[in-house]
Amino acid sequence: MTESSPLAVAVADLTRTFVRSRSRLPGRLKRRPPESRTALDAITLTVPSGEVHGLLGPNGAGKTTLCKILSTVLIPTSGIAKVFGHDVVVSTTRVRPLVGVVLGGERGLYTRLTARQNLMYWSALYRQPTSEGAERTAKLLERLGLEERADERVETFSRGMKQRLHLARGLVGNPRLLILDEPTVGLDPAAARDFRGLVRQLRAEGRTILLTTHDMTEAEELCDRVTLIDSGKLLGTEDPRTIGEWLSAWERVTAEGVPAELIDRIRKVEGVAGVEIDSEGRITVETAGDGTSAAVLSLLVDGGVTSLSTSRPSLEEVYLHLIGSRGLNVG
Amino acid sequence: MISDGLRILRYAAASGFADFRTIYTVRTWITGWLFRVLCQVSFFALIGRLIDSPEYTEYLLIGNAVMIAAMESLFVVASTSWERWTGSVPLLIAAPASLALVLCGRSVQWLASGTASATLALFLLSPLFGVDLRLPMALVVIPLIALVGLSTYCFGLILGGLVLRADSLRNVVGNLTMLSLMAISGAQVPVSVWPDWLQALSAVLPVHHGLAAIRGVLSAEMGFTEVLMHVGMEAIVGTASLGVAILGFKRFAESGRRSGAIEFGS
Ligand SMILES: Nc1ncnc2c1ncn2[C@@H]1O[C@H](COP(=O)(O)OP(=O)(O)O)[C@@H](O)[C@H]1O
Ligand SMILES: [Mg+2]
Repeated sequence: MTESSPLAVAVADLTRTFVRSRSRLPGRLKRRPPESRTALDAITLTVPSGEVHGLLGPNGAGKTTLCKILSTVLIPTSGIAKVFGHDVVVSTTRVRPLVGVVLGGERGLYTRLTARQNLMYWSALYRQPTSEGAERTAKLLERLGLEERADERVETFSRGMKQRLHLARGLVGNPRLLILDEPTVGLDPAAARDFRGLVRQLRAEGRTILLTTHDMTEAEELCDRVTLIDSGKLLGTEDPRTIGEWLSAWERVTAEGVPAELIDRIRKVEGVAGVEIDSEGRITVETAGDGTSAAVLSLLVDGGVTSLSTSRPSLEEVYLHLIGSRGLNVG
Repeated sequence: MISDGLRILRYAAASGFADFRTIYTVRTWITGWLFRVLCQVSFFALIGRLIDSPEYTEYLLIGNAVMIAAMESLFVVASTSWERWTGSVPLLIAAPASLALVLCGRSVQWLASGTASATLALFLLSPLFGVDLRLPMALVVIPLIALVGLSTYCFGLILGGLVLRADSLRNVVGNLTMLSLMAISGAQVPVSVWPDWLQALSAVLPVHHGLAAIRGVLSAEMGFTEVLMHVGMEAIVGTASLGVAILGFKRFAESGRRSGAIEFGS
């Protein structure tokens, strides 16, 4: 490695707007001004080398747009993005060998080639010498548990296998920065768990990882720091433990067959943010404080309610809480 | 650098041949594709028989057999946009190597198949139509057929680059180009029957010069230097086309980076 910047990713005031393709209405009908949509709105973010950085946000937040810009596939409308000190717009020849990118979903593999052929192909595209490419290919196939099927065509693979092959593909060029865009979407829980194990190994190797997700548990489990993004704006960067705290603080309790008098008492428990009752008499208690859900649960159990459960809040709910309570250091 | 490039071309070609194998087996290539090719060339050669002209029969047979190499090479127009369907384009742009290299290599299966079927059509049908190709000298034309296929392939790459932006046109463009080349490059009628401007156009397109060289060799009426000149011209047309095609692919990648039209994942 020649020059080494301590920052794997440095993004300043990065904005990307998309202009909607012209409408296909006949020209006679009024031409509308082109509609533009801001996918990233002046975001500023740094990721130090060696960090696993999470980008947490709901659908349409702008996560993929940032991944595209950092992997040189998309040019920003304004602002600067650098990878290990190299500008992603002009210094593509410097940036590309340093970055591996893995997308959620199955596309992008040559399904009529075997797993090994795919990896050899991409290792050539990442300019690895043949012998090194063959060696890395064999190692990656083994590491990702694809060894036995290595010489079978990819079209016969399950979704989880294709996703692992994608990860191997992203790693075949030995990248210093690995960009994983929603890598576990569509995987079954066991496959997702294996995938997370791999991410931990990669972190231990000292690679920098930028991982996007809309799954708070995943962000909490895997990341050193997590940046929250919504509608193209960053809401702040947090310690993953904070996310864990939110998950338990805003836990929801659902129960059936709760007497009205007990519901009133639950409403009065400190930290209960709200109680909703649906048409079938099921109640959902939203909590906003550590230990609140435990207090609610014990009240319910003492009141003889047996049909109850707790669940973690969705990302959207957490965002609502955060924006409502100003609990975030927006910036 | 050069060996890196060749290796990428080889893998891209392997992916193209893998596509090809899902379309044909050796057997269906022979019974399906080759049979169709033989029928097509025979159809045109029969016109010469119909007007009872051995010279014109020979003219049509050679012209249409060589045209097969061009026709198959032009499948590159459609198959270039297959690369988009695999979803690999953004990943290729993100990779250090050039997208153009992959697109240049991923359709060479047509070139190989086209050269083979054109050659077989020429040598299998000649005896049936009473055309004496004067073997073994005639075997010299096999590399020339490959050259015509190659220059047409390079020209097809230019069109493939355009069709990448307008996927719905991929078959129309290939077919129209094929019909135009068939008409103006001396396959059915001598180029000299066309108005000057059309002759000039034909001269900068593939097939024209290569076919002239092939006719020259087979008739044994053309001097060696003249044959060589035609071969050189065909090679120049091919090389220039390749240059334009590579520029086109690079522009496709750059404009995609700007517009965001390059789809990412599913
Ligand atoms: N190529 C594009 N053309 C137009 N709009 C786009 C394009 N790509 C993304 N967008 C819009 O930008 C916003 C952010 O998209 P994206 O980055 O894909 O979000 P995420 O990955 O977080 O779900 C969305 O509103 C999306 O519709
Ligand atoms: Mg996305």
